[in-house]
Amino acid sequence: MVLTTAMLSFISFWRASAIVLCDLASTAYYIGGIVEQAVGPSAPWFILGVMLFSYAIRAVYMESCSMFVRGGVYKVVKEAMGGKLAKVSAAALMFDYILTGPISTVSGGQYLAGLLNTVFPHFRIGWHINPNAFSCLFAVVATLYFWWENIKGIHESSDKALKIMQLTTVMGVVMIIWCGWTLWARGATLPPFALKFSPEGLGWAHGVSWLKPVGAIGIIMAFGHSLLAMSGEESLAQVYREIEAPKIKNLERAGLVIFVYSMLLTSAVSFFAVMIIPDHIRIAQYSDNLLSGLAMSVIGPHWARVVLQAFVVGVGVVILAGAANTSIVGANGVLNRLAEDGILVPWFRGLHRKYGTTHRLINLIVGLQLVTILLCRGDVYILGEAYAFGVVWSFVFKTMAVMMLRFKNREPREFMVPGNILVKGVQWPVGLAAVFLVLLVTASMNLITKRVATVSGSIFTVVFFFLFVYSEYWNEKKHKDAHDQQEKFNLRHEPDLTHLNEDFAKPKRVLVAVRDPKNLFHLQKVLDVMDAETTDLIVFTSRIRTGLGLVEETVQMDHDEEVLFTKVLELAERNGKTVKPLLVVSNEPFYAIAQAAQAAKASEVVFGVSAKLSTDAQLERLAMTWGSLPTDDKQPVRFRIVGIGVEHAVDL
Amino acid sequence: MPWFSKKSPESSPDQAPGPKAAKSLKVAPLLSESAIIFPLPGRDKVQVLDELVRAVCQKAGLTDSSAFLAKTLEREQGISTTLDTGLSLPHARMDGIDGIMAGMAVLKTPIADPKQSDLQIRVIFLFFSPNKQDSFPLHLQLLRGVSSLFQPSLIDQLTAAAGPAEALALIRKVEG
Repeated sequence: MVLTTAMLSFISFWRASAIVLCDLASTAYYIGGIVEQAVGPSAPWFILGVMLFSYAIRAVYMESCSMFVRGGVYKVVKEAMGGKLAKVSAAALMFDYILTGPISTVSGGQYLAGLLNTVFPHFRIGWHINPNAFSCLFAVVATLYFWWENIKGIHESSDKALKIMQLTTVMGVVMIIWCGWTLWARGATLPPFALKFSPEGLGWAHGVSWLKPVGAIGIIMAFGHSLLAMSGEESLAQVYREIEAPKIKNLERAGLVIFVYSMLLTSAVSFFAVMIIPDHIRIAQYSDNLLSGLAMSVIGPHWARVVLQAFVVGVGVVILAGAANTSIVGANGVLNRLAEDGILVPWFRGLHRKYGTTHRLINLIVGLQLVTILLCRGDVYILGEAYAFGVVWSFVFKTMAVMMLRFKNREPREFMVPGNILVKGVQWPVGLAAVFLVLLVTASMNLITKRVATVSGSIFTVVFFFLFVYSEYWNEKKHKDAHDQQEKFNLRHEPDLTHLNEDFAKPKRVLVAVRDPKNLFHLQKVLDVMDAETTDLIVFTSRIRTGLGLVEETVQMDHDEEVLFTKVLELAERNGKTVKPLLVVSNEPFYAIAQAAQAAKASEVVFGVSAKLSTDAQLERLAMTWGSLPTDDKQPVRFRIVGIGVEHAVDL
Repeated sequence: MPWFSKKSPESSPDQAPGPKAAKSLKVAPLLSESAIIFPLPGRDKVQVLDELVRAVCQKAGLTDSSAFLAKTLEREQGISTTLDTGLSLPHARMDGIDGIMAGMAVLKTPIADPKQSDLQIRVIFLFFSPNKQDSFPLHLQLLRGVSSLFQPSLIDQLTAAAGPAEALALIRKVEG
């Protein structure tokens, strides 16, 4: 019986960056239009401010990831402040993810509709596409496409994300050079810093005499409107568990790539848009497809600008659709944590029979996104207005939780948000407190200025919160194992181990035998030093059955096996190295290990120190069993017994 | 690197060279006709071991075999030494000996293994090795070599053999 699970592949920091950037960098396509509609032409300054501030948020996420491998908002807030606030923060975050997909795909549709309406006259086609209706249709199709990609598993999705980001980079470079050339040729004036709030941009503050949008208050209001530019940071935490070793180092690299990239792209195009697109058409004509307006406003012959627009739109459609993918990946991660914690009924955690993904959760996420697309009827501004609620409140909860954990859990972390002051042996997190303060003030101001966000976000959060509470209550009532946090595994049944070798492609195979979830020291030692590029790691356990039990064995894992392999997966995730779990039903454990090692052509078999057998007895039984295998072409194998302070190795 | 080592826990499998192929160890030179017995039917494993230990000790010129038998039976209390090929491989590491002492019992009528009643023992290969750390690799190598040699086809031929001479000749023939 061979176990497989989709949760076991690990990705490079480039792929991780690409997944997160598909969300973060895609905002460049709509953030400028949305923020300018709210605060006027000074929008790029605030977008720049938000992008700089995102570096601090990245640090908060890095600290939380250094504490928890699966360290999204829910987990961190729960550890710091308990289950109720964790559910509120998870509900707010779900609101963010549910809207990320629609805002991206609808925006992509708007760009495509704009392009088609530009080129149709050139081909003497007398059609005019309704941008809102078209963008709705496009959003539905793109969402369904990425739904299927996610059903198939993250590796395919990260591969696609990487390609999307490569294409976006080319587009970004072309745009920056072309816009730079335009500014050099025409002369340039930086956007004004003066704030010009629209009535929608002031929300309930409009008419409140003491809440004037000037000075510091105005800056906070405008900053709040721009905050959705850094939506996507949570994906960093969701993707962290998939990042290969060395994890924190790679997370740091991914964070830097994400920061530099989004900073350059999002801020630069926002500035270029205000500096290059004439004022009278920028919002009137291009508010929903600002980069198209930018492409059509640079210097150069008309045909070249149309080609540039087509390129920009082509890339935009792809990256915005990719953001829908990221939102599905992220939301799936959040709901998985909730399901593991007994908040969602176990049915949701069932794995897809073929692809091993949590397909029911993916279906739920995509279903909600499709409903959102249909409800917004193609209006990007409404989506953008609503969007910020989930983004900012999930950051508030997260930062507060990480700050509280500084006092609750004083164990050293691999990474800490800078700005700590040591007073009488206590590290005071001044940096974290500053980030929290900025977020709290901004989020509170957003409650007043962003009516759509406050109303829709509050309703969604309250509804989801009570759904989580009720679901948890129902779960506890119906399932005694509701808080059973074991990983779910797909089992692939094989009658024997003949074809095991076909599952491995790397030149070296190491088989680690495990039995006791509390005795995995030897597995950790192997994970510490193995080269994941060249080595397939098979983690083996055997289920001992005799007589009829051998032939009547089902393909279900028992509780102890689930506990064992959950621990194995945790170790693999923490180390960012792929393991291949293997469960063999046999009447003799040593024979099963030897057979599996031979079938997998393992060059090394590693055991832990047994509580029952001496290491000499273990090695003797192994030598006998290995020798008895009926074949003449056994590969040389090294058997190792590894324990704390002990290691025995023998080549047989 | 020696093919058996006690290493520090920090050593890395990826830095270490790969495993060496096991050395070819001949079994026949360890045996002699006087150390091969064909016990009478109806005996259990302990009785067979008693007879076999005495034969092995006699061949080595030792008059008192009780310490060898006690050590063998003590080891038999631990993890099973019987394989599903029908070979039982009792063994012990003894103080005061300098080399391998080995003997074989061929059972015309199989006997049930006392620890795993579903396993039928058809051949018992008994050996003692010196109880020294540097002899342990040889001990393991012999366990591997014997279990590798005594596959069901050889065991079938041995149980059909007329006596110790024919049994020894069969082993020599298979080993080449």
